Amino acid sequence: MRPTRHVRVLQAQLRASVANAMQYRADFLLQGLLGLMWVGVSLIPLNVLYRDRQSIAGWTWPQALLVTGWFTALRAALEGAVSPSLTAVVEHVRRGTLDFVLLKPADSQFLVSTARFEPWKVLDLGASFVIMGWAFHQMGRAPAPLDLAAAALLGLVALIVLYSMWILVISLSFFIVRADNLSFLFSSLLDAARWPVQVFRGALRFLFTFIFPLALMTTYPAMAMMGTLDATTAGTALLVGFSFAAVARVVWLRALRNYTSASS
Amino acid sequence: MLRALRAYPTLLRVGIADMIAYRTEFLIWALTTNMPLVMLAVWNAAVDDGPVGRFGRPQFIAYYLITMIVRLLVSNWVVWEITMSIRHGTLATRLMRPLHPLWAWSAEQLAAVPMRLVLVAPVVVALVHAAGSELTRDPALLAIFALSLVGAWLVQFFLMVALGLASFWIESSFGLFEVWMGVNAVLGGYLVPLELLPEWLRSSTGWLPFRFLLSFPVETAMGLHPVDVALGDLGIQWAYVAVSAAATLALWRAGLRRFAAFGG
Amino acid sequence: MIEVRDLCKTYRVHQRPEGLAAALRSLVHRRYDEVHAVSDLCFRIADGERVGFLGPNGAGKTTTLKMLSGLLHPTRGTLAVDGFTPQRRDEAFLKRVTLVMGQKQQLLWDLPPVETFALNRAVYGIPRAEFDRTLTELTDLLQAGGLVGKPARQLSLGERMKCELIAALLHQPRVLFLDEPTIGLDVSMQATVRGFIRAYNERTGATVLLTSHYMEDVAALCPRVIVIDKGRLLYDGELRALVQRVRPFKRLSIRFAEPPAPEVLARVGEVLSLEGLAAQVRVRGTDVKDAVRDLLGTLAVADLTVEDPPLDEVMRDLFDGNTAARGAA
Repeated sequence: MRPTRHVRVLQAQLRASVANAMQYRADFLLQGLLGLMWVGVSLIPLNVLYRDRQSIAGWTWPQALLVTGWFTALRAALEGAVSPSLTAVVEHVRRGTLDFVLLKPADSQFLVSTARFEPWKVLDLGASFVIMGWAFHQMGRAPAPLDLAAAALLGLVALIVLYSMWILVISLSFFIVRADNLSFLFSSLLDAARWPVQVFRGALRFLFTFIFPLALMTTYPAMAMMGTLDATTAGTALLVGFSFAAVARVVWLRALRNYTSASS
Repeated sequence: MLRALRAYPTLLRVGIADMIAYRTEFLIWALTTNMPLVMLAVWNAAVDDGPVGRFGRPQFIAYYLITMIVRLLVSNWVVWEITMSIRHGTLATRLMRPLHPLWAWSAEQLAAVPMRLVLVAPVVVALVHAAGSELTRDPALLAIFALSLVGAWLVQFFLMVALGLASFWIESSFGLFEVWMGVNAVLGGYLVPLELLPEWLRSSTGWLPFRFLLSFPVETAMGLHPVDVALGDLGIQWAYVAVSAAATLALWRAGLRRFAAFGG
Repeated sequence: MIEVRDLCKTYRVHQRPEGLAAALRSLVHRRYDEVHAVSDLCFRIADGERVGFLGPNGAGKTTTLKMLSGLLHPTRGTLAVDGFTPQRRDEAFLKRVTLVMGQKQQLLWDLPPVETFALNRAVYGIPRAEFDRTLTELTDLLQAGGLVGKPARQLSLGERMKCELIAALLHQPRVLFLDEPTIGLDVSMQATVRGFIRAYNERTGATVLLTSHYMEDVAALCPRVIVIDKGRLLYDGELRALVQRVRPFKRLSIRFAEPPAPEVLARVGEVLSLEGLAAQVRVRGTDVKDAVRDLLGTLAVADLTVEDPPLDEVMRDLFDGNTAARGAA
């Protein structure tokens, strides 16, 4: 499949998603309110925690707020571009219509990952920028341009890791029939990313750094934005991101082979 | 009523067999209840600088572990069951049976309890081991705790049925459910112990239903209130049982009329 | 165009036992059954043929179609469709085939079919001009012009099937696999779909392999049928010859001008019914000519028709016979 065709398919899928979203205008309001509500919900524990202390595990209030900002952005990406498609695949597997996707002369991973978007989640993305801006306002400074660039790069890595983990989850859905739960598990695990990883100790810290690398998704981009992330960690993060992508690809292909040789 | 009671043991037995068949999905669901552990880890880092109000390290451990236990025992999936059966039209089959669907739904949810107890057991062991001293020894409070668990299960069941029945009128009740989840996380004490919330939030928790679904049993088990206060709260909780049951039945009748008129 | 040799497909199926104790036991120890969905299947289909693929439920029809379209890997045997090995799923192969499943749909549920069409245009990389031409052609053939702008969920079953067919044929495939394309449709819509498939085949010369529960579909569309049962080939050849082999009898319906002599009727064949002036007689196909001559010569015949046995009955006989033969062996 040539790259130009990829772009065209992506365009067509996006267009269909927007057309779909436009049909339900009440959803727009609901999604907007839900987004605001979750931002509020995530700020309350933070507020309680910092009410009578200066720092927790070396993180001050505005710094922790910055991590929350990155978390909001990441969740917007998850719910706007990643999990709608996950739900679509699970639905395909359940109803047996995945066959139609597999019959298309295009990369199946690409097709399923771009199947559905939730355009309204752009609102949440906007909210995340507001939170980040608020955090820097309270720090009384602006991020350096170079740090911003590094943070953007790490944000991209975070997206790749998130996407790869999602592909791994989907691959699981070929083996589990009632897989609706998987997306809930995924977002509930991701929830821990609202806290700086240094807050966790022992086994949890190890888990969130290396196995389910939440550190890479919110803490590192936030640190890069503040200019406190060292080059070695950033480099390792890049490496981890791309190995995740490679593993996800291999697992997807294997799961697909298993699906086509076993299903009826 | 009599027929329902006679059929109930069979309903439970089939429900349990069904649970066992879907054990993987059940485990995945159970893993989504990980928020208390994350919050515990966060508070564990925060209390390095001293306790917050009445809550020090052992109190937080007890609070979040009991929260986990109560949550695992009390929550249900009946919103999904009902929404799906309304949307896919399988409700009609249930209506054909000479048994009120509420009985069947309650049996299905109750049948999950034995499996959940298996999961709860290790948490109880950890609780007794790590924070046994924080549990109440007062037999009156323990009795109230047991009753409050039953009450919480019933209120949760009826409210979730009501949310599911909302699908008779609106496209999807999942948005509504999400709002509920968000508010419940804050005002039910799932994220932060209610007494640590800022005053403006805490004042509403005394009469809203959320506290009686989760926080009230937890507080009772920790012996945070004297017996007379706990007894008064138990009265409020069971008043909620009665009100939610009546409201749900009324909603059911109205929904059925609509179902009969529009065919879902 | 299609070549199938010694095709086999075997599934391993987990037994889900009944009862609580058994369910608990299956936690530890799982038992599997081997199911032979397709065994040693061989056939060839030439370019441009229309072939009916028949068999009772669970005969292995859908499994075979899925293997032919590359969705399932065969356990054993070789397959070739238009020179490709389907399970390799080459892009060139996928662009040359299509699969329509009457019970499943590819249309995006909440959107008008035109959106699905646009998506398929992008996925198959169909040039704009060609796409427009094909779309116009297909909508004209199916008279579906007014449908493509309505959300799919608002279309009736028949209207949706029309749009499914358009979506499946936009890339002008050379091979059509149709799995129960008329299921659930009313009689006139069945006829529309049938007429469309025939017209498409005649216009483009595409090869058609069709499964259906409605024998009318097969009788109207397919000069040749392949019959399988329990995964094995039972018959491959002309539909007419099959009817003759399984049901060698024809039915004579006669109206007489005056009451006939019963012994003359009995001489001709087996009398199925005789009421007043109307009679039905079963006659071996090869004897029809003599029987008719005999009747016309000796009795006062007002009207006489010769009927083939209904195709449904032929099929029932065929599968019953198959079961009986196995029981005996």
